[in-house]
Amino acid sequence: MPNAPLLEAVGIGVAYGLATALRDVTMRIEAGELVCVVGPNGAGKTTLINAIAGLNRINAGALRIDGIDLAHLPAHAFCQHGIAVVPEGRHLFTSMTVRENLELGAYRAGARKERVRQLDRVLSIYPILRERLETPSGRLSGGQQQMVAIGRALMAQPRLLLLDEPSLGLAPTIVLDMFKVVREVNRAGMAVLIVEQNVAMALEVATRAYVLEEGHIVAEGVPADLLRQPHIRRAYLGESGPD
Amino acid sequence: MPSAALLGQSLLSGIFVGALYGLLGLGLSLSWGMLRQINLAHFALAFLGAYLTYQLGLAGLDPFLSLLLIAPAFFLVGIALHWIFDRFKVSPFNSLLLTFGLTVVVESVIQGIWTADFRRLDSPYTALKFHIGNLYFPFAGLLTLLMAVALSVAVWALLRYTDLGKAMRAAAEDAPIAAAFGIDTVALGRMLSGLCAAFAGVAGVAIALTYTLAPSQIYSWIGVVFAAVMIGGLGKPLGPLLAGIAIGISEALTMAVTAPAWAPLVSFSLLIVVLLTRTRRV
Amino acid sequence: MRGVPAPVWIVLATAAFGALALFHLPAFYESFIYLCFFWVVLATSWNILSGYSGYFSFGHAAFFGAGAYTTATLANDFDLPFLWTLPAAAAVAALLGVGIGAVVFRMPRLRGELFALLTLAVTFVLATIVSNTRLDGGPGVYLSGVAIPRIAASPSTTFYLMGLIGAAATLWIAQAVHASKLGLGLFAIHDDEDVAEVMGVPTFGYKIAAFALSCGLAGMAGGVQAVFISYLTTGETFSIILPLNVVLMSVLGGTRHWLGPAAGAVVVTILLYAFTAGGHPVAGRAIVGLVLIAVILLMPSGLLGRFAPRAGGRARRRAVARAAIEPIPAEVEGAPLLAVHGLAKSFSGLKALDGVELEVRRGEILGLVGPNGSGKSTLVNVVSGHYARDAGRILCEGRDIGGLGAHRIAHAGIARTYQIPRPFAHLTVLQNVALPARFGRLAMDRHRAESEAMHWLAFTGLDSKADALPQDLNLHQRKFLELARALASRPRLLLLDEVLSGLSPTEIDHAIETVRNIRDAGATIVFIEHVMRAVMELTDRIVVLDQGKVIAEGKPDEVMRREHVVTAYLGRPHA
Repeated sequence: MPNAPLLEAVGIGVAYGLATALRDVTMRIEAGELVCVVGPNGAGKTTLINAIAGLNRINAGALRIDGIDLAHLPAHAFCQHGIAVVPEGRHLFTSMTVRENLELGAYRAGARKERVRQLDRVLSIYPILRERLETPSGRLSGGQQQMVAIGRALMAQPRLLLLDEPSLGLAPTIVLDMFKVVREVNRAGMAVLIVEQNVAMALEVATRAYVLEEGHIVAEGVPADLLRQPHIRRAYLGESGPD
Repeated sequence: MPSAALLGQSLLSGIFVGALYGLLGLGLSLSWGMLRQINLAHFALAFLGAYLTYQLGLAGLDPFLSLLLIAPAFFLVGIALHWIFDRFKVSPFNSLLLTFGLTVVVESVIQGIWTADFRRLDSPYTALKFHIGNLYFPFAGLLTLLMAVALSVAVWALLRYTDLGKAMRAAAEDAPIAAAFGIDTVALGRMLSGLCAAFAGVAGVAIALTYTLAPSQIYSWIGVVFAAVMIGGLGKPLGPLLAGIAIGISEALTMAVTAPAWAPLVSFSLLIVVLLTRTRRV
Repeated sequence: MRGVPAPVWIVLATAAFGALALFHLPAFYESFIYLCFFWVVLATSWNILSGYSGYFSFGHAAFFGAGAYTTATLANDFDLPFLWTLPAAAAVAALLGVGIGAVVFRMPRLRGELFALLTLAVTFVLATIVSNTRLDGGPGVYLSGVAIPRIAASPSTTFYLMGLIGAAATLWIAQAVHASKLGLGLFAIHDDEDVAEVMGVPTFGYKIAAFALSCGLAGMAGGVQAVFISYLTTGETFSIILPLNVVLMSVLGGTRHWLGPAAGAVVVTILLYAFTAGGHPVAGRAIVGLVLIAVILLMPSGLLGRFAPRAGGRARRRAVARAAIEPIPAEVEGAPLLAVHGLAKSFSGLKALDGVELEVRRGEILGLVGPNGSGKSTLVNVVSGHYARDAGRILCEGRDIGGLGAHRIAHAGIARTYQIPRPFAHLTVLQNVALPARFGRLAMDRHRAESEAMHWLAFTGLDSKADALPQDLNLHQRKFLELARALASRPRLLLLDEVLSGLSPTEIDHAIETVRNIRDAGATIVFIEHVMRAVMELTDRIVVLDQGKVIAEGKPDEVMRREHVVTAYLGRPHA
């Protein structure tokens, strides 16, 4: 029997009141994979990431990490099971310093004792943050805030790192650097799930991808195959007919 | 122009009453700033603590011992209050209305048990005072100042330097993301709410030591303490204390230089100015 | 009950109570009923601003006190006959309210709890000033020397009748406001002030008007009460108990019903009295407090909340023929309908719009596209007046609308939908759509607005939901409600902000056809969308935004093939 995937979502559904944001979404992430989910605006990508991070309640289906059922756990338990998120728009604790934000990433029991060593590791990835450790994080530039957000998630020493539209609002060179870091972190063994609008960049780093449209998965596969399919071009650019 | 001694004494009494504003404001500021609950019942709770101190005093209990009993008991009350707000998803504005109802209930209970007659704590500490030169320092005032400073600084240090405090700040700023990083925001909220109620109890002991008690007095503190809380900045532990003392001193000096009756104008005019000029949402 | 209009009930009740005066009840009962009338006036007047619009004031005592002391001063110091002091009392209180409102209502931060605190602070400031000046001076003011007019046989009957007239007048005014355009506007402000402003409600003016009425009535009650109790002290007059009582009574009775505060006032006064007479006044207060807590937790809309009539009045529903849409008349020829030059808008240093230049031609459907964060919604928000611009000009048919308040921009004929629907949660679907018709460019009266609204509801397929609340609609229906609402004011320029997102393919087809019909009827449309299929099918021209600037403009299929546009959307791959 093949190894169970690290993260498994089976037929999950999320609804806000009467509006359905996700329906019947089934996907999996193996340990060490870099999976990305692409799709047009309003497709439900953020809802999906939030559901996996514990920020949204699931109304239907099952969500498991390492076989453990997550659906009935309180939000703060998700981190304990090895999930860390870099939310869309970063959501740093802006009134707190860079150091405090990073240290809070390691709040969960199990990560706290490794805190000093992890902080060092994060600062070696992002040396520019070293001189800004005591700066209130709200004052940093967009790119630097993104570094802190990713650093904060890394401090939790997760087994699965979630990134929600990490390139949003950032200049292309910064986006490039960011994806480089993500790729390295993945090569070191961490599973990564990226939800992205920047399709080209995302498909370059991913080992596998899903296409999400109007709340459910319409395609899955290896990036090269997906790019050849008309799905993505049509969804984003509106070209009608086969390529 | 009043004499130096009179001015000096006014300054002192302003500091002492300001410290009490700060002590009362601490719990209010924290629950409003960090939990988004405006707890009008904070004042009624403080007075309940004052009356309990009085009653225990009748039984022969030293006010310090009463403090050790009252604070933990009120901590539990705070937890219960947080549970209610959570369970019924009470909005910040409705928390104002709800705690007003609670204020009326508590005030009625107080009046029911202790009647509207004036009550004065029977303890050697109430009349105790120290003389240094021309000035006298009432023990009750010094104790209030000490407790206000100690608690404000302790909370400030807790929030600034401890993991728990930082987690509380994170939860106050962005609860869902804090939870995503393993912070149990509900438990922290309960703890903070309990702490605020315990602080009300401590303020009550200070009130019992300083003043003669009557149930209607609950309402007379509301305005000036809200002024101290807003001027000091919501959720900032040192804010109510510093603002409270500033207000207390201004009031006392106004009273000494003009007529006593002009004193309330100071704090409320300050409050209006603060409300009109603060550029971001308080 | 249904058929009889409210004003008739008020008149009948007044007549009944008036007749009661002929029975020469013991003075005690008359005084008690007078007290009920008194609280009815205070609570109902408070509700006109605070309940209807959501601006909960904790300062009602300030206006009550202003009226009381005006009467005291005029009667004692100037020997003005008691009845003549009452209009003055009302006027002074109203002016005080207008003065405060003029400063505070322009500040969007000062809503909710902060407004409550500010009004409370004003009360204390006023109390201190009154207490320290000749107005009171400290020991209080005696009015026992004031001659009570001989309206009835005894003073207590006189006050009974004055209280009755005051209560009747106040209820009449509250009911009239509730059923009027002012009331509809206030209820919209309650639900979403910013959207109300964008739909054409003159929010500042309406709040001032409601506040003036509220304060004036409280002042009048103050004047009467001053002579009734015949001894004023600042402590009692400006006490915090008054606003707290008034809030309690209104919340208990229901703030959305014009009769709610009165019902609450009567219940609380009787309750308090019953316990006082029974020797348990304290228990009575405790019960009242518990009732307030229970109401907040379990019955937030109050006792009469469920029975609240529709704000803005109810027009008789006329049958709506599926008539053809009348074309919107063309106005000035030549100039483009909308021209934007050098438009800039930043949020905390982030440039959302960075010098946008574009023009919208009459009768076209202009597509506005661009990746996330490019500034499309910000552009709509600035043009419609939801945000103020930082720089640049916005010309509507040559006229600069850039500096106008949002409700004036609505009057100029610009309407928009919200990407995430923002209906007025407590108004029915019909009321939501009728509102812009009443407050927009054509300022229709109630009947015409409601039939106009029914017309657009039929057009968008929502006519069966006319009496439902927005929360009962699904996303698709809410999006169409946004659309119907934007159309109801017969705008010249319609800004559609992602109307299609979240819709299923068939719903999108239906929406595309609807939008086409709207343009064919004569509207000009700016169409922000991510659903490319719709953009291609519908638009005559498109403009591409990226990072706050226009990067391309032209025919849809041609523009979307340009390399730099493709790059902006999909990103450039790197080896």
